[in-house]
Amino acid sequence: MLETTALTGHHDGLSKQKRISQRMTINTDNELRTGQWEDALTLVALHQDKAAYAELFSYFAPRLRAFGIKMFGNEQQAMEMVQDAMLNVWRKARLFDASRGCASTWIFTIARNVRFDMLRKKQSRKDDISADDLWFDGDYPEQESNSSDSWDTMLMSEKLAPHFDALPPAQRMVMQKVYLEEKSHQEVSDELAIPLGTVKSRIRLALDRLREALDDTRS
Amino acid sequence: MTHAVKFHPGLMLLEQYVEGSLSADVALAVSAHIDLCPHCQQQSRDITNDQAAVLTEQQLSKRDTEQEWQQMLNFITSQPALTPDADVRTASSAQAASVTVNGKTFEIPRALARLAQKQNKWLHLGGIATAKLPTADKQHVSLLYIDKGTEVPNHTHLGLEMTLVLAGKIVDENGEYGVGDLLINSPDDTHTPRTLADEDCLCLSVLSAPLKFNKGLTRLLNPLQQFFY
Repeated sequence: MLETTALTGHHDGLSKQKRISQRMTINTDNELRTGQWEDALTLVALHQDKAAYAELFSYFAPRLRAFGIKMFGNEQQAMEMVQDAMLNVWRKARLFDASRGCASTWIFTIARNVRFDMLRKKQSRKDDISADDLWFDGDYPEQESNSSDSWDTMLMSEKLAPHFDALPPAQRMVMQKVYLEEKSHQEVSDELAIPLGTVKSRIRLALDRLREALDDTRS
Repeated sequence: MTHAVKFHPGLMLLEQYVEGSLSADVALAVSAHIDLCPHCQQQSRDITNDQAAVLTEQQLSKRDTEQEWQQMLNFITSQPALTPDADVRTASSAQAASVTVNGKTFEIPRALARLAQKQNKWLHLGGIATAKLPTADKQHVSLLYIDKGTEVPNHTHLGLEMTLVLAGKIVDENGEYGVGDLLINSPDDTHTPRTLADEDCLCLSVLSAPLKFNKGLTRLLNPLQQFFY
C-alpha cells in the first residue's frame, strides 16, 4: 500500500515535469495566459486600444491565414479573408461577449462567415443564402444538461477500443487525459493551453462520436 | 416545442456545417433543424469550440511577411469602430417569422425568416402546395405544404432529398416525423410520404435533382415534377 502511494507520488512528480516542459514547447513564441485574448478584446471594445489589438492581430492573423490557405487553396483569397475577418474583429469588438464563449471561438466564426460570403459573392446576389441566415449570432435558450456520466463505464468496454483510436487526435488526447490519466478538466485545460469550455466540448463530442460508432455496429 | 426531435443530421454533416463547407442549401436545412433542436444546438456549439481550438493549435511555418502584416494592421486600426445602431440590425434578424398557406399561419425557424420574406407565390396541386425560396444553387429549396389526409405519390430521388418538418406531422414507410425531424433520402430510397387524417404538415424541402414518380398513373406526373422541384 505504502509502495503504491509512493509510486503514484513519483508518477505525479514526473508528469508535472512533463507538463511544464510540454507547455514550454507548445508556447515558445507566446507566453499565453488564460483570458488574455478576452481581455484584449474588451480593451479594443472600450477604448479602441491599438496596442491590445496589435497583440490579437499578431497572434490570430497568421493563424487565420494558414486556415484560409487550407480552405481556399490559395494565398490571395486567404489574405483577403484575413483582412476582412480581422477588420470585423476591430470594428465589432463591442459585440464580443465573454460569457458566451472564448475569443478564439468568436474570431473563428467571424472568419468562417467571411469565407462563406466570399464564396457566395454576396454583393452580386442580395437574395441568396448568407452566413447571417446559416449561423445564428446569439444564444439559444439553455437546455437541461444531459449527463454523459452513464457513459463512463461504457468507455471501459473492449468494444470501444478501436473506435477510441479512431477519434480525431485532439479529442482523443483530451479523453486520454481525463479518463485514463484521471485528470480534472481544469488540469487538461492548463496542460494543453486550451479553454476549459473547449475541453468540455471535446469530451462531449468524443462521447457522441463513440455513441454513433456503437450504433453503427449494432445495426 | 413539445415534440422531441428524433431524426438528426449526423456528426459529420454538423462538422461540415460548422466549418462552412456544406453547400448553402443543405446548410440551410441543417441550420433550420438546429433552430428547432436543442441537442444539435449543443453539438454545433461544441464543434465550433473544437474547430476554433484547432485553428489556434496550428503549427505556423516561419515566413517573412512582417511588412505585409504591418500594413494590414495599420489599415485596420485606421478604420472607425461600428456604430451602436448596427447592433439593432443583428437583434432584429433573430426575430421569428411566419408563413401563411391554406388559410393557416405557421411559425418558421430563424434560419428561414429572411428568405421566406422573398418566397415565390404558392403553387397548389391537389392537397399539396409549394413555394420556392430564392437561392443561387443547383439545389432547390422550397416550402412544402401538405394538407391533412394527403398522400404524396410514391417517388424515387434522382439526387439528395432533405425534408425538415416545420409544423405538423408526416408519415412514410420508415416512420413518423414531427417538428424538427430531418429526413435525408439518398438516390436509392423510394418512399410514399403522407399526412395523417387530422393533421396537415409544413416542411422545408431541399432537392438536388427532380423527383421521379414510380407508380401507374402517377407516372404521368413526371412532366409535372417541375412543380415539386
